[in-house]
Parts: sequence; structure tokens; C-alpha cells
Amino acid sequence: MVVPEVTITHLNRADGSATYTHNGYSIIGAVNGPIEVLRRDEMPEEATIEVNVRPAVGVGSPKERHLETLLHNTLRSIILTRTIPRTLVQITLQIKSLPEEESSTGINTSLTILPHLLHTAFLALLSASIPLLTTLTSTLIALPSTSTPLLSPTANELLRAKPIKSMHVFAFSGDGRLLLNESDGAFSFEEWEEACDMAEQVCCKEVDEGGVRLGGGDMEVDGVENSQNLERWLRGVGRSKVEWEQRWKSGT
Amino acid sequence: MSATTTTLVLPGDEIPASALPTGTGKRKTLKLGPGLRHIPPSTVVATVAGALVTDSKKNAASVEYNSGRYLPFPGDLVIATVNSSAAENFNCFLTPHMPPATLPHLAFEGATKKTRPQLPPTSLVYCRVVTAGRDSAPELTCVDPATGKGEGLGMLKGGMLFKVSLGMARRLLAPKADLPLLDILGGKIGFEVTVGRNGLVHVDGGTVKITLAIGQAIQTVDEQALDDPGQKKLAAGILKNM
Repeated sequence: MVVPEVTITHLNRADGSATYTHNGYSIIGAVNGPIEVLRRDEMPEEATIEVNVRPAVGVGSPKERHLETLLHNTLRSIILTRTIPRTLVQITLQIKSLPEEESSTGINTSLTILPHLLHTAFLALLSASIPLLTTLTSTLIALPSTSTPLLSPTANELLRAKPIKSMHVFAFSGDGRLLLNESDGAFSFEEWEEACDMAEQVCCKEVDEGGVRLGGGDMEVDGVENSQNLERWLRGVGRSKVEWEQRWKSGT
Repeated sequence: MSATTTTLVLPGDEIPASALPTGTGKRKTLKLGPGLRHIPPSTVVATVAGALVTDSKKNAASVEYNSGRYLPFPGDLVIATVNSSAAENFNCFLTPHMPPATLPHLAFEGATKKTRPQLPPTSLVYCRVVTAGRDSAPELTCVDPATGKGEGLGMLKGGMLFKVSLGMARRLLAPKADLPLLDILGGKIGFEVTVGRNGLVHVDGGTVKITLAIGQAIQTVDEQALDDPGQKKLAAGILKNM
């Protein structure tokens, strides 16, 4: 799995922004908030969250509305809405480009883009310094009918692994709790559990982190795992953000 | 451990008790600044991504970050824009698209019920945040409540407003943090700089040329994060063009 590429806080006018590129998907995310909310949407003890997903081509369709609902419900559980009551957090996600093979894979395209949208939205929220409960990592697992499960497959890999039996999107919080699961296709509970375990390994940090280091052989295995770990990747993004913001300090 | 140390935190990171300062003597209770959340009984969790800053002298901890929108805190010095005048107060904006903050007519030096200050819309006021609860509009004042004096607060006349990052504003307002750029320029030309914690800098240099040069120089230092030699070079270039 290739690690996603991210540029953070690059839009001038938005309070927070992030551009995210992974597996041929490129998405620009912008967050404005906390700002004044329309009287009609105001909630007395909570912040209102508005998610706008704009497709790469054309205007939004029911597919985008469906993605917005999924994102809204997931992000609501990680934004500390009660600390900024009667305000609005506006999240706009513009899909910039999709992989060429996207439409020819013949599978549910709202599932394949969901992890990328979640990551972009989260990074933009991070950039806007909106108070958050926890971090969020997400991945896609495809279960082909013939070969082994595919972890965060590219559109090309999906095309070659046809027919795909089922697809699963998992999102985990920083402390390893499942935040979102969207599945499509026919699958048994065992298959789902296998996919869930696989996603958890990629998304969450290793449990024994910071503990006693094992022998040399294990270290190497660790190294391979680390390159695929999304939690570690997220921490790297956070570190580069903080270093960028603190760079004047090292100069003086 | 030195007086101030920094480490990276992400939202949801629990701050171990060993990383927090332990109170001694009078300052027994730990103070949590922006970016930290206390979950009873004794858990401290970060809510934003930034650098954890602890100060063992003041027994305080906070997360330092330089992005996002300005949120008012009591005691902050801000530059507010007057929007309208109501019966008892002015409605002012601290940041765009936020509910207005209130600035009472009587919160000016020497203001009485008979002599109220007249501020037309869009005029700039340098003021202090009095209250900023999450359940009410922030309240501003232009006088020191103890002395009733202005202490430099009040309407800003002439000059021009420049936008800087929140971190830059904090850096300019920090005690004993002098920008070499302003020191050097101030030795040669006269100008007035007012810094608002809400990411605004008001510069009045008398002439448009000086005002623009100084305002843009401050923005350059902010964008490029110039260190001391870089600022000295920039200042020399500006003085040459004057």
C-alpha cells in the first residue's frame, strides 16, 4: 500500500484546508468554522456540521448526497460539537480527479472513494484546529471470489481481480474503536471479521507500541508494518504541520 | 526538565501525568490552556494538533497551534471593526462571519451618558476582551476596569490594516519578544504598529509609502518565517528604498 500524499493549510481564504492524493484519487478539502449559523439550522447546545461533496464532473447527484450523509454522521462523532455550540462547521470536499479505470471496475464507486473523503475531511478539520475528540483513519478492503483479500486496492487492481465478491470500508478512531462500516456484496460473518481485523491492523497503532522491543528479526517485520500503518502516517502529517508552524522558533 | 518543553500531540492523545508540570507552593492547581480538555477525574486529552507547551513556573499547559480561526479569550487584545451602533453598545466584528461582539458605549475613557463616543460603521477599535463564554456574545472594553483609563486602547485613526497569522500576532504580542525588523526600522523612521490577537496588525506610518512598506514587511516575516539575519536583510532593503 502506498502512503497518501497530503498538502495541508494551502488555501488562503479558508480556515483550514488539505489536498489529498492517493491511488489516483485527488480531493481538495476546505473547512470554515466555527462561523455564524443560519437561525434555521441552529442547535442550542451543539455545533451544526455541513458537508458538501462536489463531484469531479457535473453537479451533485444522489450519490454525493449519500456520501455527505455518511461523512456527516461519522464526523459528528469525532468533532467536539458541544464545546462550540450554536456555530457552524462547514466542510467542502471537491473531488479533483478519479483514476481512469474507476468507472470500468463495475463496483460501487461510492465505497471506493469513501475512505479518501474521510481522510481529506479529517485533515482539513485538523488544519482548521476545530476541537476534535480523536483522530480518524479509514481503509477499503475488497474480497475477490478467487484470490486473497485486497487491502486499499487501486482501481487497476480491482479491475484485474474481477469478479469482486464484497467490498468493505472501515473507519477507526484513534483509540481503535470502529466508527464506520459500509459493506457491499455477499459475504459471511467470518469473511467480514477477517476484513475487519485486516483493516484494524492498518488503521490503528500497534498495541505494543512503546513497550519492550523484541529481537532483530521482529524489528524487520515491524518496519514493513510501519510503512503501511495509517496511524503512523497521520502522526507524520501532524508532525510536519507543527514543524511548519513552529519553524520561526528554530530560526531565532 | 527546562521551564518550557514541546512535544507533538494529535486530537485524542492522552497527556501522561509525567508530561504535565507539578504544582508547587501557591500554584497548586494545574491550568489548562487552549487545545486541552480535562476529563474527570484526572485525564487530560488534547483536542487539536499542535505542540504541547508546559510551563512549570506558572503550572500551566496548553497546545500551541497556528492555524484556524480566532476564538476570543478573556484578556486578549484585539482589533475590532464596528458594524453598527445599538442603544447601549456597538456591535463589532472580531473575525468575519461570526456573531458580533458587544462594545458598550460607556466602555471608553471619559465616556459618560451625556458624552458618548461617536463611531461610524467600519471604524477600527483597539480593545480588550472582557468575557467570552461559549453561551454568550463576547464583550469588549476600551478601558482598564481598575483605573478607568484608556491605556492606549480606543479608536484607531488613519493607517491601514494588515492580516497576519494568529501565531504571528501572538509572537508580536508576547512580552520581551521584539522583532529585529521593527527595531531596525523604528530607529530610522517613525511609525505606529498596533497588534490585535485576532490576526490583525494596524500600521500608521504617516505616509502611504511607509505604512505599506512596514505592513508588507511584517507579512513577509510571517509568511517566510524569517529569522534574525533574514529580518535584518529585509529591513536594510526597505530602508534603501525609502
